[in-house]
This record gives sequence, C-alpha cells and structure tokens, in this order.
Amino acid sequence: MSIHTLEVLVENEPGVLARVSGLFARRAYNIDTLVVGPTTNPEVSKMVIQVNLEGHSLEQVIAQLDKLISVISIEELVNGEKKPVKDTQPDYQN
Amino acid sequence: MATQHVPTANGTAMNGATSLVKSLEAANVDVMFGLPGGAILPAYDPIFDSTIRHILVRHEQGAGHAATGYAQVTGRAGVCIATSGPGATNLVTPLMDAGMDSVPLVAITGQVPSAAIGTDAFQEADIRGITMPFTKHNFLVTKAEDIPGAIAQAFHIATTGRPGPVLVDIAKDALQAQTTFNWPSKIELAGYNPRITPDNQSIADAAALIAQSKKPVFYVGGGVIKANASKELAQLVELLGAPVVTTLMARGAFPDSHPLHLGMPGMHGSVAAVTSLQKADLLITLGARFDDRVTGKLSSFAVNAKVIHADIDPAEINKNKFADVPVIGDLRETISALIPALKAALAKNHPDLTPWNASILKLKSSYPVGYTLPDDGSLSPQAVIERIGQISGTDTIFTSGVGQHQMWASQFISYEHPRTWLNSGGAGTMGYGLPAAMGAKVGAPDSTVWAIDGDGCFQMTNQELVTCALNNIPIKVAIINNESLGMVRQWQTLFYEGRYSNTSLESKRVPNFPMLAEAMGCVGLSCERPEDLDATIEKAMSINDQPVVVDFRVHRDAMVWPMVAAGTSNDEIMIARATAPDWDSQEL
Repeated sequence: MSIHTLEVLVENEPGVLARVSGLFARRAYNIDTLVVGPTTNPEVSKMVIQVNLEGHSLEQVIAQLDKLISVISIEELVNGEKKPVKDTQPDYQN
Repeated sequence: MATQHVPTANGTAMNGATSLVKSLEAANVDVMFGLPGGAILPAYDPIFDSTIRHILVRHEQGAGHAATGYAQVTGRAGVCIATSGPGATNLVTPLMDAGMDSVPLVAITGQVPSAAIGTDAFQEADIRGITMPFTKHNFLVTKAEDIPGAIAQAFHIATTGRPGPVLVDIAKDALQAQTTFNWPSKIELAGYNPRITPDNQSIADAAALIAQSKKPVFYVGGGVIKANASKELAQLVELLGAPVVTTLMARGAFPDSHPLHLGMPGMHGSVAAVTSLQKADLLITLGARFDDRVTGKLSSFAVNAKVIHADIDPAEINKNKFADVPVIGDLRETISALIPALKAALAKNHPDLTPWNASILKLKSSYPVGYTLPDDGSLSPQAVIERIGQISGTDTIFTSGVGQHQMWASQFISYEHPRTWLNSGGAGTMGYGLPAAMGAKVGAPDSTVWAIDGDGCFQMTNQELVTCALNNIPIKVAIINNESLGMVRQWQTLFYEGRYSNTSLESKRVPNFPMLAEAMGCVGLSCERPEDLDATIEKAMSINDQPVVVDFRVHRDAMVWPMVAAGTSNDEIMIARATAPDWDSQEL
C-alpha cells in the first residue's frame, strides 16, 4: 500500500462532510487524514484526504467519490503538484 | 446543465407548501402515493386542490414500493410522500430497494420546524442522514424559497444518468412561510454531469474485440430496460447471432421466445445461461453489474473471457470484474453506435460462431428449466405460476415478492416485452410485490397486473389491498402458499440437515387468506387441487372491477433448481439435489 493524497472540491453545504466520510466508512476504506477548509469561492470547500490505498481500491474510492453529487472535482497531489485523476474512467487500452 | 419549461405560476406569491405542489405539477407528476402527518400537513392542504392524483396508502412502505412499481412500468419518476420521523423511516426500505435496482424515485418528507431540528422534537428523525448511504442524493430544505429548486434538482438527478432515489426533506416552517414561486429555468449542478454519449474509441475497441471472438455471449442487465434499448439490443443480437442471457433485473429486455435466448444466469439460472458465461471467450456486458448472485465465486467466474462492460455508471467499471473494454454512456446510444461499428468490423473478419452456438443450444435443449410434479398429487407451485403466465399472456405485468416464488416467476413465465417483470432484485425486499403491483396498475391501468406473492411476503404488506379496493386499482394477487418461508426452508433442507428453525408460517391454518382479502374489499379465492387450477385462474382473470386474491395452497417441499450454492463456483451448478449436469456428454 502507499499513501495517496486527494484534493476534493465539494459544495459548501451542511452535511457534505458526512457524505464523504460516510462513503469511506460504508465501503470500508480507511482515511489516514482529512482536512477541510474554505476556498476563495464561498460556495466551494476543499477537502484534502490521505488514503493508504492503491490500484483497484484507489480507483474505486475515486469513482465512488465522484458519484457524490456534492463532489465537484477530484485531483491527486503528487509531490505538491496537482495531477488530474483518470476521470474515473479506467484506461481501456489494457 | 439542463433547461426546462417555466410554468405560468412563476413569480406568484404563495406559501412554501403551495410552491411544493406547484413544483410537482411543473415536474409533470400525475400521481403520488402518500400518507399525511403533522410535519407534512401544510403540504396536504394544496394537495387537496391539485390536479395531481394522490393515493392514500395504509403504510408508507406501501407508498414507496408503489412509486417504484409505477416508475418501473412507466420509466418516469415515481413519487411518494410522508411525514417526519416514523413516516419518513417507513420509506427507508423502499428507498434502499430503489437504490439497489436503479429506480427513479422522488420521496418527499416533512421535517420538524427548522428551529426544532436537533432537539429530539416530537416525530423528529434525521432522515437525510439515515438515507444518505443509499439515495442517489438527498436534500434538507429549511427555507421556502429553496423548495422549487430542490424539487427540480431531485427529479433531474433521479431520472438522468443511472436512475436512483432522491429524498427531499422539508422543514414544516418552510412549508408554512410565504414565498414567491420560482421554478428554475435551468438546472446547474457542478458535481453532476452524467456521460450519455460513449466515446468513439471505446465503441471501436468493443467492435474489434467482438469481431475476434469465437465464443461471445450477451450478458444483459436491467440497464437495457432503464435505457429503453430493447429494440436496439435485438438488432445487435441479430447482427452477431450470439447467445443472450438476461439477468433477474433484465427479464423481458429480450424476448424469451428467441432461439438464442438462454434464460437467466446466476444462482438459480438455467444450465445453458450459467455455462455460457463460464465457457465464453467474451462477455458483451450491457447494463449489468457482475452481482454476486450472477457470478458465484468471483475468482472462478468466466475465467477465460475478455470483458466488454457498457454501463452509464463509471463506478461499476472494474468494481467486481476487470473490464478489458469499458464503454461509459447511455445504453441506447451505446448499442446504436455499436451496430454500425460492428457491421464494419464483421465485414473484415466474421468468425464462425456455429460450433459455439451449437454446443450452447444443445445445453439449452438438454437442460431446460423444468420441475417435477409432487408425488402425492398436490398442487405444484411451479405449475401454478407457469399456468398463470400462459393463461394471462405476455402483455401482462408481473410483480413478485422475494424467495422461491420470485425465482419460479422468473423461470416459468415467458417474458416478451420490457417493463413486464418487476421485482426486488438487488435488495431482496420481502413484501415488495403487492404494493409494487398497485403502483404498476396505476401506471398502466389498461394492463393486467399479477402479483406473484409468497405467503410470507404477502403478510408483510397486504394492508395495501385496502388502498387498491378503495381507489379502483384492481390488481390480481397469487399467493403461492407453501406455509413456509420457502427459500429459507430450502437452504435449511440443503445446508442445515433439515432443521427447520422458524420457517414454518402455518399459513394454511392462519390467516384465512380469502377471508382476509374479502375483509379488505377484495375477492378472495382458493385453490388446492391441480384439477381446479385453470378454472381458478380464469375466474380471477374474469374479475376486473375489484382486486382479486387467490390462495394457491401448494406442496411444501418444492425446491428451486438449478442452483449454484452461495459462495461456490458456477461450475458447480446442480440441476437437482446432489445432481450435476452430465458434463461428459457435452462438448464445450
């Protein structure tokens, strides 16, 4: 396993933290750390989530997170650089 | 972003409750199922004047399943409405059920006044929190001006992309407050943008893979019905000429009468359907999700097959089974795009499927799904269900509860059309069948609607017969009465040495089902002898102005076969107790 850091932009609305943390809980994914903060847009909050997952499990976490209506975008932070996740669509040229 | 028609009431002053009803009218709701209570009471005043038909149920669970039945028959969103606290929690099971089976449902609940939220007020329950895990989305509305926007978004979310249930919880003071009606002209959800059109490359890859395959199978799921893609599917099947299996949720998506149709795969699937998936070199998966009841032990499922997985939900791709070629998009668009692409690919290379088809069709003829009649001459449950199907015909809509009767209704009724088979596939909700039949009959009033129910299931939700009797909803209910929780009893027979712990319902003694039906304003019939079977069904068919309940008193020990025991490989399919197919005589 390896630590991956996801930067998730969400609608700034009541219950959004429960939506995200509940998703991790019910699909049995562990959160290593979770930080929530504001953005320059008052309607949008930023969650930085560290997970100890890789491969299939990481892909599923991202895909399931992306299904939440309140989740606007998901990017992975690699060495401080933002990297778009694979748009939840796996590479079909395997 | 979706644009929508703006009603003339926009800009009119009214209270929140009236704006809720105006919003439902703007969303083209024609019927809703519900039951009032304190917190939702303000909404029931404008409902009194609305053009929307409100059907007063006897239990909120009935409202939820009825809305689901309505949605599955019509393809439109079903609507149910309840009050706060226990009213709302009674909707929990139908919401979970609709989530598992991707049914577009909008549930509206009253909530205690916003100032009282969080105080453990009378009839307060955090229904938004409770339903978060299995709704597609949900809302808590505490301001009157937010009601139209939430309702518009709820219908948009429920009916687009992968359909699903959406709950809108509205605080009582928001219903009572004055506001100006403001139905939105467009819906913008930054985090919701379902992919409808598949990308060209994935279609091309899928076509190329199909054109290389010598042992392909169409693995068809309920998504084909949701996408109204049956016609396109039929064209695709004709083009390739490969065998088809339809899952429990997809029965009717492809006609059972078609020679290439192998029936249902899975735990109680046909030998040919199960084996075709196991031996295939390619699964053309259309709107199916590799559920454990289909795959059996996943590590031994279709081990030699490449997988094309077409689905509107990207999260289904690679969830249970790796997809060599994923195709994300609406299935009707996907199949429509695949047909010309496949034509072009087959023009270059058209593998001979004759040996594969011959071996699979030999399995189909060697091991048809069948049953043996009870030795003692008593009524066979399978025969009852088969005859209802034959006598009532293929335009009939069938619903079922969950258990043995559900599997038999899937196996022994021939489905020719989509949206004629409604059941609780993912959730396995006992008691689904009767209220779903009520909703189906409301959605398709000119169709005959039969609920094939069990004596256990019937006792969970039969109170809605009163609703049917009083609201001119003449459904027909066949209770397959084996005086047991039959599927559980079957497992006790097979896996617990016949120790029948708490599965005997004694429902041939109590209750008296025909009298119970009569007490609820229905016609009650009973049938115990095989020689009376056809006449009883015909009698039930002749009554169309009242609900009819028939107590079919069947043999207790009938079992559902074939069977792949839970957690075992599909290769270990049994056609009867301790009896495997004669594999040595098959060439695969």
